[in-house]
Amino acid sequence: MTPPELRDLLADALALWEVPGRVAIAEGGVALEGMGLRIQAARDDERPIRWWLERPGQRRPCTSVTGLLRSLRNAVGAGEGEARRLRVAGA
Amino acid sequence: MIPVSVVTGFLGAGKTTLLRRVLSDPAWADSAVIVNEFGEVPLDHELLAASEEVLVNVSTGCLCCVVRTDLTATLMDLARRRATGELPAYARVLVETSGLADPAPILHALMTDAAVAETHRLRGVVTLVDALHGAGALDRHPEARRQVLLADRVLVTKPDLGDAAAVAEAVQALHPGLPLRAAVRGAVEPDWLFAPGDPAPLPDPTARHSAGLASIVIEREEPIPALALTLWMQALAEHAGTRLLRLKGLVALAEDPSRPMVVHAIQHIVHPPDWLEHWPGGDRRTRIVLIGQGIPRHFPARLLAAIEAEVSAALR
Repeated sequence: MTPPELRDLLADALALWEVPGRVAIAEGGVALEGMGLRIQAARDDERPIRWWLERPGQRRPCTSVTGLLRSLRNAVGAGEGEARRLRVAGA
Repeated sequence: MIPVSVVTGFLGAGKTTLLRRVLSDPAWADSAVIVNEFGEVPLDHELLAASEEVLVNVSTGCLCCVVRTDLTATLMDLARRRATGELPAYARVLVETSGLADPAPILHALMTDAAVAETHRLRGVVTLVDALHGAGALDRHPEARRQVLLADRVLVTKPDLGDAAAVAEAVQALHPGLPLRAAVRGAVEPDWLFAPGDPAPLPDPTARHSAGLASIVIEREEPIPALALTLWMQALAEHAGTRLLRLKGLVALAEDPSRPMVVHAIQHIVHPPDWLEHWPGGDRRTRIVLIGQGIPRHFPARLLAAIEAEVSAALR
């Protein structure tokens, strides 16, 4: 995923969570302006880590974009909100 | 499997008139009808305590009883009595909701109860919108809008009394591509009314918005790995929550793109996938429609692309 694609996805996610904020392209990834959060793509030799969610003094690894979204949601204080687990009918 | 169809519609839309008409058709007389007169179907004991009686009519009024229980228990009780011969071997169940009911809890009840799912199959949702007051109800009442959003087809009733074309337009604006007919006093073929829900997604590729609701269409040329589809649906359920009202579509899975998989979800509850033998019309693209409230228009497609890229990279 390119930095512009990541920026657009995370901007949509913030809107979905009703969290005001702006996502901008930053060196090696994107930054959530005013929140002190940065997301950087992991290097190939860091696999299975794919993303780093960074805030001052803290660096959290994420192994997938879905994991990144979950971590970011907690980081911006959106909590679990209406989060629901997918359920198969009758199961 | 006993097919179950849900008939809904706002107050005064003509649900009972329609069902009376349907049951007068000899080919449809062998239907069990569950009438939920007031309030939503009780899904837990708190709601159960406040629930009204559920009237169950079986086989054109030949047998009538009153059961104070919830929908799933009623269905299973009917099925048990059908199996023992206590009741006629009805061919299907029609559930009439109350006019103020949000169909979602009813659909959840039908889809999530293991015992019901083993013996019954949700066939579809028919929503009645009357030509006299329907447009106003859609404008003012969220329950009426959700009844249309969760419908598989819509019957515009009382076209002799109101502006059926305007109501049809309001319905299509809310749920583009929804099969729709108009009929006076329920004069419509039950075979059309209760046909299985159309698995084909809505044809309009642009999102439409009405009262904060939107339909979003995703089209993909390349087949999607099953894992990516599963992760995407899970992420949608997780992040959109109750904002996601409905998802349906035809998917070309990378594992078997020769035939389409039918996906269908009501909020976060997903039907077990079905497979069609052939691609309708020869169009082999994945086409998925989401109906939701306040979901950024491009979020589902961007999320799918991101997940698909990761999964594809991992599978290489």
